[in-house]
Amino acid sequence: MNESEYQTLIEQSWRRPLTRDEQARLDAWLVANPRQQADWELEVTVSSLLARLPNAPMASNFTSQVMLMVERDLAAQARSTGVLASVKRWFRNPAPRLAWALGLVAVGWFGIHQHQTNARSEMARGLSVMANVASLSNPSVLEDFEAIRRLNTSEDEELFAVLTSK
Amino acid sequence: MLRVKRGDFAAFEELVEKYKKPVMNLVYRTLPDATEAEDLAQHVFLQVFKSAHRYEVSAKFTTWLFTIARNLCLNEIRRRSRHPADSLDETYADNEEQPIRQVEDARIFSAPETLLQGELEEKIEEALSELPEKQRTAILMCRGDELSYEDMAKILECSVSATKSLIHRGRETLKQKLKPYLRTGAWKEK
Repeated sequence: MNESEYQTLIEQSWRRPLTRDEQARLDAWLVANPRQQADWELEVTVSSLLARLPNAPMASNFTSQVMLMVERDLAAQARSTGVLASVKRWFRNPAPRLAWALGLVAVGWFGIHQHQTNARSEMARGLSVMANVASLSNPSVLEDFEAIRRLNTSEDEELFAVLTSK
Repeated sequence: MLRVKRGDFAAFEELVEKYKKPVMNLVYRTLPDATEAEDLAQHVFLQVFKSAHRYEVSAKFTTWLFTIARNLCLNEIRRRSRHPADSLDETYADNEEQPIRQVEDARIFSAPETLLQGELEEKIEEALSELPEKQRTAILMCRGDELSYEDMAKILECSVSATKSLIHRGRETLKQKLKPYLRTGAWKEK
């Protein structure tokens, strides 16, 4: 036996007890390689401890709990399958499918139309505000407005007095 | 499993009976809370039933079963890391002496040799729980001869040599941690 075979035997011992033949070969190897004796003993010890690990605590009704879960799951599945099946049946006829398609198109068209109308009216409102601002006269025209008004008023009154006296 | 695939409840019940212990042992040592582990183990079997139609005859049942178990455990670990649970030591605001939850210590203590044996079991459980998930799962699956190294490699999603390396590294860590106890000879078969 060589080192590689020794490793293979160690790997086998991790999973199961060695057979008589394997054990004999191993013993022979350990006699020839006494330095590996301690290592092998540790391997055996760890394997033994791992094999003796106690089982996890478990309720006595574990299996019945699982079966109950399965039954509940099947019932829930049946319910959802029932609803799904009726919807599928309903859709199998062409008329409701067409109605649904038309309805969806109408709703879509109405939505788009409404959106466009709103956008247009918003734009029109904006434009009308801009138009009002643009039609205002140039403020520089009104610079001497007060003086001219006063001047015009006095001349007109004198002229009116002369004309009415004649 | 083929009977289960055809919807045979009795066959499924047999399957649960046969594999509940190895599944529970694996789950319990990944999520060391008996109640949560049991809940998760039950979900493993529920998942087996729900996915039975996807089971392929070419696949080995135990490989498939332990893959489901490991995946559910990993999902739970991920979920826990996102939503850490409350501490068991958390106390009431008005009474700091009294913890919110009290868990019964169900261990049985008796004679000194039992104590020593119990302590050793506790140490190995502790050393196992401190191993990285892949090493621990590999070591636990390796305990029985139900799974070959090829099966374990499939479950762990790595090569056969990587699986052996995981087991080797895990066992080396266990040896190092248990050495002080092993010298006493307390482990020896009675």
